Amino acid sequence: MKYLPFVFRNLFRNKLRTALTGGAIGLAMLLVCFFMTMPGGIDRLLSEISSNVRVSVHNKGGVVYDLPSAYVQRVRGIPGVAAVNGEVWFGGAYEDEGIVTFPSFAIDPDTVGAVWPDYGIDPLVLEKFRRQRDAVIVGRETMKKYRWRIGQQVSLVSTIWPVTLAFKIVGEIPNDRAPHFWMQREYLAQALEAQDRQLDTVGTIWVRVADPTLVHDVMTRAVAMFRNSPAEVNAETEKSFFASFFGSLQSFVQIILVVTGLVALCVLCIAANTASMAVRERSREIAVLRAIGFGRGVIFGMLVAESVVLATAAGSAGALLTYAFSAMIRTLSGSSMGGTEVGALTGFLVTREIVARGIALSAVVGLVAGIAPAWGAARRPVAETLREVF
Amino acid sequence: MPEPLIALRDVSRVYRRGADDVHALEHVSLTIAGGLFAALMGPSGSGKSTLLNLLSGIDRPSGGDVVVAGKRLNDLSEDALARWRSRHVGLIFQFYNLIPVLSALENVELPLLLTALDRRERLARARLALDVVGLGARAAHAPAELSGGEQQRVAIARAIVTDPDLIIADEPTGDLDARNADQILRLLLELSHELQKTVVMVTHDPRASEWVDIVFHLEKGVLKETYAGGAGKARAPATGGPP
Repeated sequence: MKYLPFVFRNLFRNKLRTALTGGAIGLAMLLVCFFMTMPGGIDRLLSEISSNVRVSVHNKGGVVYDLPSAYVQRVRGIPGVAAVNGEVWFGGAYEDEGIVTFPSFAIDPDTVGAVWPDYGIDPLVLEKFRRQRDAVIVGRETMKKYRWRIGQQVSLVSTIWPVTLAFKIVGEIPNDRAPHFWMQREYLAQALEAQDRQLDTVGTIWVRVADPTLVHDVMTRAVAMFRNSPAEVNAETEKSFFASFFGSLQSFVQIILVVTGLVALCVLCIAANTASMAVRERSREIAVLRAIGFGRGVIFGMLVAESVVLATAAGSAGALLTYAFSAMIRTLSGSSMGGTEVGALTGFLVTREIVARGIALSAVVGLVAGIAPAWGAARRPVAETLREVF
Repeated sequence: MPEPLIALRDVSRVYRRGADDVHALEHVSLTIAGGLFAALMGPSGSGKSTLLNLLSGIDRPSGGDVVVAGKRLNDLSEDALARWRSRHVGLIFQFYNLIPVLSALENVELPLLLTALDRRERLARARLALDVVGLGARAAHAPAELSGGEQQRVAIARAIVTDPDLIIADEPTGDLDARNADQILRLLLELSHELQKTVVMVTHDPRASEWVDIVFHLEKGVLKETYAGGAGKARAPATGGPP
C-alpha cells in the first residue's frame, strides 16, 4: 500500500497518454459489456417466446415436410402428454401484398388453451374461436401492424392452398411479440373439400407435456413411435426448436463472442504497449531505484500495479457507463415512455454481474499486459542498466 | 588506525564485449577506513566507475574479494545485494536522478519505503535529512523547480536518509558550476568528518583532491597511486591506502 501513491504519480506523469490509453480501454470495455449481454439476451428472448414443457414433433426431413394427421391421435396417447395440437401452415398473404408477412396456421380450436396456456388468451375468446367456423385469433404484433380491430373481417390468400378465405377476428394473443394468425383447421378443410381436396396432413404437432421431468421421455417415445415409418419424426423442445429455427441467430452470437474476444485482445495490446513505453521511458529511474535498494519484486510489483490500476479504472468507467445507460433505458421504459416494458429485450441490458465481469476482465488485461515489460525491467542486471543510462 | 570499512583484495572485473574480454579492473587491492572522504581519480576508462559499482554492491567482481562493512559481497544474490544496499549504501549520481513526479521531500522519503517505518516517521526523517543539507524550506518543491546545486543536495539527503555506513558519489560535481561544486564538496566533507560517514567519490575534478582525505589514482584498470588529499594532510596520520 505504501507504494500506491508512487504508482499513481507515475500514472499521471504523461496525462495525455494515460487519458488516451484509458479512453481506448474504457471504450473497448463498453463494447465488451454490451457484447456480453448477447448470448444471455438471445437465450432469454428464446425462453420468453417458448415453453420448456412444449415439444415440437415434426417431420425428420424438416419442418417444410408434412406428417399424416393420424399422428396427432397417436402422439396424444403417449404417457405424460397433457395436450396436443396439430398445425397446418396456411401461408396467407394479406390483401395485395402477395407475400407472407406473418405466420398463419390452421389449428385445432379445442386444444389451444391447453397447449398454449402461457399465452394468456382470454377463455371467452377461446370459446368464440371454437364456436365460429371463420373465427381467427391474431397475435398483438400483427394486429398492431395492420391496425386491425377485434370484430373486423379480413381475407387471406393462401400461398400453399388454392383458396382465399375470409375471417373474423374474435380476439388476440396478448403479447406484443406474437405475430400468429390462427384459424380453425375445419374451416380450411371444408374449403378444400369444396374443391374435392382433402386435408389429411399436419405440419408440426405441438405437444404440452404434463411435467417438465417427462419431456425427455415423451420426445424419445414420439421418435421411437414413428421409427421406420414413411414419415419419421424428430422431437425437440420449443426452445431448441426456435433455436434451430433461428440458427443464424446463434451464428451471430458466436460471431459476437469472437469479436468480443478480439476487442479484449486489442485492449490487451494497447495496455501492453503503454506499459512498454512507460518502462522504456523510465529506464534511468528504474535503474536508480534498483541501485538505491529497490528489489526486483518491488519494481515488478509497482510496474504491474500501474498497468492494473490504469486498465481497471478505465475498464470500470466503460463498464459502469453501460450500466448507467441500461439503467436509464429501464427507467425510461417504466415511466416516460408511457409505461411500455422492455420485455424480452431486458436480456440485452447490462446487469451488475456483467459490469463485475467487465471490471474483472479489465484487471486481468492490465495484469497480463503489465507482466512482460515489468518482468523485463525487473530482471535486467542493475549494473548493465546503469552503464547504459549514465 | 580505525578499522577499514572497505577492503578490496586482488579484485578484477572482466566484461565480455562480443568475442573480446575487456579488463575493466585488474588485481586492485585497497582499504578505506570508516569516516574517510576518499576520491577515485583517473582518466576516462580507467575503471573508476567499475570500482564504484563493486564497492556499492551494484556489480560483482570476476575475481578477488570485496568486503564492505564486514560483509563479503561476492556471494550475495541480486536481491540480497539490493537489501544490503538499502541498509548500508547511499548513492549520489552526477545528474542527480531525482524522480520528477515526486517533491523533494518524497524523493528523500523513497529509500525509507523499503523500511518498516510508518509514513509519519518516514516523513520526519526525510525532513531531517533535508534540513541537514539546508533545503528544509524547499521540501514541497518538485525537482524541476530546484537549481542544479539544490537538486544535488536533495540527492545527498536521499543518500543519507537511511543513515548508511557508506556514501558513494559518482561525479557529484560534474554537472555543477564552481560555487555549487564547492558547496557539495563541503557538504560531503562534513558528512564524512562530522557524521563519521565513509564517502567514496569518483571525480575528474582536480580541485576535488583538496577536499578529500585520500586519493586513489587508477589508469587502465590498475591502481597506480595512492596519496593523501588536502583534507587528509590536515588529518594526518593517513588512515587509508593500499593494504
